[in-house]
Amino acid sequence: MRERFLIGFDPFVLPFMIGMAFVLTYCIVGLIRVILQLSKADRRKLAASLFKPANAWRNLRDMFCDCLLHVKLWKRNPRLGYMHSAIAFGWFMIIVLGHIETFIFVPKKAGLFYYPIFFRYFMQMDNYSLRGSFFFFAMDFFLLIIMSGILLAMYKRIRSRFFGMRRTTRLSLTDRIGLYSLWAIFPLRWIAEGFTAGIAGGSFMTIPINMLLKNIMSNPENITVAWWLYSIALGTFMIALPFSRYMHIPAEILLIPMKNAGLKVYHPRKGFALAQIYTCPSCGVCIDACPMSASRQNLKDTTVYLVRQIKRNNARRMNAMTDKCLMCGKCQEVCQIALQSYDIRMRIRERATYNLELDHGYLDSYNPTLAKSKVLYYAGCMSSLTPVTGRSVRKLLDVARIDWTQMDPEGGVCCGRPLILAGRRKEAARMIEKNTSIIESSGASILLVSCAICYRVFKEEYELKGIRVMHYTEYFNELMEEGRLKLNRGALRYAYHDPCDLGRGCGIYEEPREALSRVGIIAPAEKERAMSVCCGGSVGSLTLSQEDRIPITQASVQNMLYSKPDRIVTACPLCHKTYARYSPVPVVDFAEALCDGLDRKG
Amino acid sequence: MAKDNVVVIGGGPCGIEVSRNLRDMGYTPILLEQQSELGGHLRRWDRLFPEGVEARKVLKELTGDLKGVKWFTDVNIESIQKSRKGYTVNVDTGMSFETKALVLTTGFKLFPAENKQEYGYNIYERVITNADLEQFFKTRKDSRIQNPKTIGFVHCVGSRDEKACNRQCSKVCCATAVKQASEIKELFPDATVYCFYMDLRLFGRSYEDMYLNAQRKYGVRFIRGRVSEVSEDIDGKLYVKAEDTLLGKPMKIKMDLLVLMTGILPGDSTQPFSEMLKIPTGEDGFFTPKDTILEPCVAKESGLFIAGACTGPKTIPETISEARATAIQVHKYLS
Amino acid sequence: MIDFGYTLSKSGTLRIDTLDDSRFKALHKLEPDAYKCIGCGSCTASCSAGVFTELSLRKILLSMQRGDEKQYLNQLQSCMLCGKCMMVCPRGINTRHLILSICKICSIEK
Repeated sequence: MRERFLIGFDPFVLPFMIGMAFVLTYCIVGLIRVILQLSKADRRKLAASLFKPANAWRNLRDMFCDCLLHVKLWKRNPRLGYMHSAIAFGWFMIIVLGHIETFIFVPKKAGLFYYPIFFRYFMQMDNYSLRGSFFFFAMDFFLLIIMSGILLAMYKRIRSRFFGMRRTTRLSLTDRIGLYSLWAIFPLRWIAEGFTAGIAGGSFMTIPINMLLKNIMSNPENITVAWWLYSIALGTFMIALPFSRYMHIPAEILLIPMKNAGLKVYHPRKGFALAQIYTCPSCGVCIDACPMSASRQNLKDTTVYLVRQIKRNNARRMNAMTDKCLMCGKCQEVCQIALQSYDIRMRIRERATYNLELDHGYLDSYNPTLAKSKVLYYAGCMSSLTPVTGRSVRKLLDVARIDWTQMDPEGGVCCGRPLILAGRRKEAARMIEKNTSIIESSGASILLVSCAICYRVFKEEYELKGIRVMHYTEYFNELMEEGRLKLNRGALRYAYHDPCDLGRGCGIYEEPREALSRVGIIAPAEKERAMSVCCGGSVGSLTLSQEDRIPITQASVQNMLYSKPDRIVTACPLCHKTYARYSPVPVVDFAEALCDGLDRKG
Repeated sequence: MAKDNVVVIGGGPCGIEVSRNLRDMGYTPILLEQQSELGGHLRRWDRLFPEGVEARKVLKELTGDLKGVKWFTDVNIESIQKSRKGYTVNVDTGMSFETKALVLTTGFKLFPAENKQEYGYNIYERVITNADLEQFFKTRKDSRIQNPKTIGFVHCVGSRDEKACNRQCSKVCCATAVKQASEIKELFPDATVYCFYMDLRLFGRSYEDMYLNAQRKYGVRFIRGRVSEVSEDIDGKLYVKAEDTLLGKPMKIKMDLLVLMTGILPGDSTQPFSEMLKIPTGEDGFFTPKDTILEPCVAKESGLFIAGACTGPKTIPETISEARATAIQVHKYLS
Repeated sequence: MIDFGYTLSKSGTLRIDTLDDSRFKALHKLEPDAYKCIGCGSCTASCSAGVFTELSLRKILLSMQRGDEKQYLNQLQSCMLCGKCMMVCPRGINTRHLILSICKICSIEK
């Protein structure tokens, strides 16, 4: 190997250098901004975690698996995974190999940013060495990998279904500039290296193209034109990068250690949230996942577009999109970067201002006297609209000879979650306080809850000393395991719906299924557990009208009917009422289904 | 000269009356009924508003003279083919009928009250429906009705309710409620009877007198407020929650018996027939005629007629008039 | 004015033609279903807060429509936003959004 030019510079590197300088400055300023926005405690937490060996290893592993190999995407759809890792990992390898080449053959030029990138222009092979041809081959090999990825990316724009996606994101203008310049970079590099292949040498990609287009390529005047174009494509891409979805490439490197340090979102567009927002690659996986996508009009309100509006700081749209969301948490579940959209939305809601403050001072004089018992049953507000739930729960408790009392036989104080979901956390405090004092003074050791919404808030927001909060699916399953509740199995096929707040919210997936499998046969839904589809009745959405909820519910019911069940079973009164309206098969409550097993003869 | 066959599907009051009139005009009507007896919902009713005429008598009048009508019960329609000449109706007993004109009088069904769980039908012991009460009036037997002292009638159960997936008014239940409230008061003179309504929609001739009598003669108390939920205590007493919207006070009333005035929905066969014969249905699920004002009994497809409650809630006299009008339309079409 | 020895009490008649219903109009903009209410009272009857206070959403909405809500607004402060009223409304009004919107538009003068 020897250098073709002694000065080692050509004006065509300028577009690349300008782009590079711009993007580096932007990222460094951005990094400092995000770090400064963090609270002192968070900054300390982050710094501490960086130096913990276990965490440092985790950060490195995550960066390699997530940023380069896109392991999560492989799991989702191998074609989609290949497409992304081909481009990301291939490009990474080309850059790394370029640097190694420079270090080996011209160590004195290693300080120049552009040298490894345009290595083939500046260097020439004088005698064939094994080492030299290895690099030629490796560079061409990864270029081929990248090109295959780019071809798939182009095909994805035409037929996203091939990659398991029904819908893809509508790109913004800067996204398009970024996308087209990215697509252009690698073919241009191929052509540029093809030009120099005759002089500088090449491998199985570059030599054939040089031979094929001998007439054009042998003209030395064309050589710089090709390298100019390649450099311009690189420069354009890097200038567009901070304003496009490709910002996720540098941002994810920051996000991974922040996430592994266990930071929390405290503001919708500052600090940790900002890092997340810039890391969103706008892949659009959340569009298909969103239950609202059952009707077209809602597509523009899905998480990927919310992130875009947060980036633009469009307060009006941000609030409207946030208030519409059902808060089911599914987008977060499917998200490749696990963007904490639930927390971000909660912070947006909490920032809304109201002229009329709610005041639950009247609760001070409410002091019900409850009979002392082991189990305190809180049925929740909605339960009076689904009386079967309460009746079945009471029946099962009696059959199992449990010492129990109901906390709210004639209506009680709301658990507070609906108010928290509306972003009015402070105003919910008094209700939480009241319920806490009622529960703690009752002397019970178990708080039994038959509503998924209440359960989540009792778990997340209440501090109940010495009291075990149990959802009735957990509790009755435990009673059955202990042999205190004996039920007989029948031939009915139950499709169990995972309520958002119970499944994704609290991670309870197995207990209800175990319990139900003791009284009947589980008929799986098409999408279930963490992928379960919101019923559409959620109090999480503040603005969705009844009319707009109907298609969501209908789609969710269809999902439940996948294995032709005899019954749909819900473990949340809200899901129950919502499903019952549109289901062709009977919708029963979890406890009601268990009661089927009571009436049966063993 | 023997005239054509005309197939009439649905043996309720409407189908019977269409058939009788066609017969009188010299046709041979073929009346097909899914159930084992003719008469439809009328068989389940005791007396009819406004004057309290016995349903039994009306039914006897209708079915007493069916000479010349070929009628079949326990018949299910397998398929219907349309040809240039008309329709071929194939039934599950293996018979098939050729007809130039086809009349659908497939009627309605009552809203399944258990779908409004907050009212507790089939959950609480003493919650019944309007149909159950008519049955009680006929047989005087119902274990749920034990000399009630306080009785409530809940209007609009499964009608005018987005949550019950039926936005429309069922039209006849207000009058039925007022009639039943008076009747039950006659049976249990000591009882206090409440009617919980959103709007009272009593529209026909002398219906106002029925309302007036319910107030003056029977002392039925009308409360303008929709029942939102019902609960039950250990003794089986019901607690009904509603707001008295005229007074502006929420109230909770203890009841011994609650009667749910279930609304009217399209019959279960409406949708299959709509698909089979390409009859459009409205958002409410009822058949839509060719012209709602001038051709209320004629479907868009030629030779196809729709009458009675399959095109919307109707009273018996309205159904009878429509049946007769339909017979004339069929005659005009065939000649 | 001649003193007749007694005063006329303020008339109880509501002059809805002169009352200001601009807040209801603003509410209707935020929640288009505000006009759909038929005043059936289901929301009030099933209200969780109504067990403790005199909260009547029906009354608040109707009085806003008439431009005369001042006296009822403080009732709304007891709302727990539990969503029961949304579940029972036969007209399918998103009552929670209605309440949140009223909270945005109206305030209680102190």
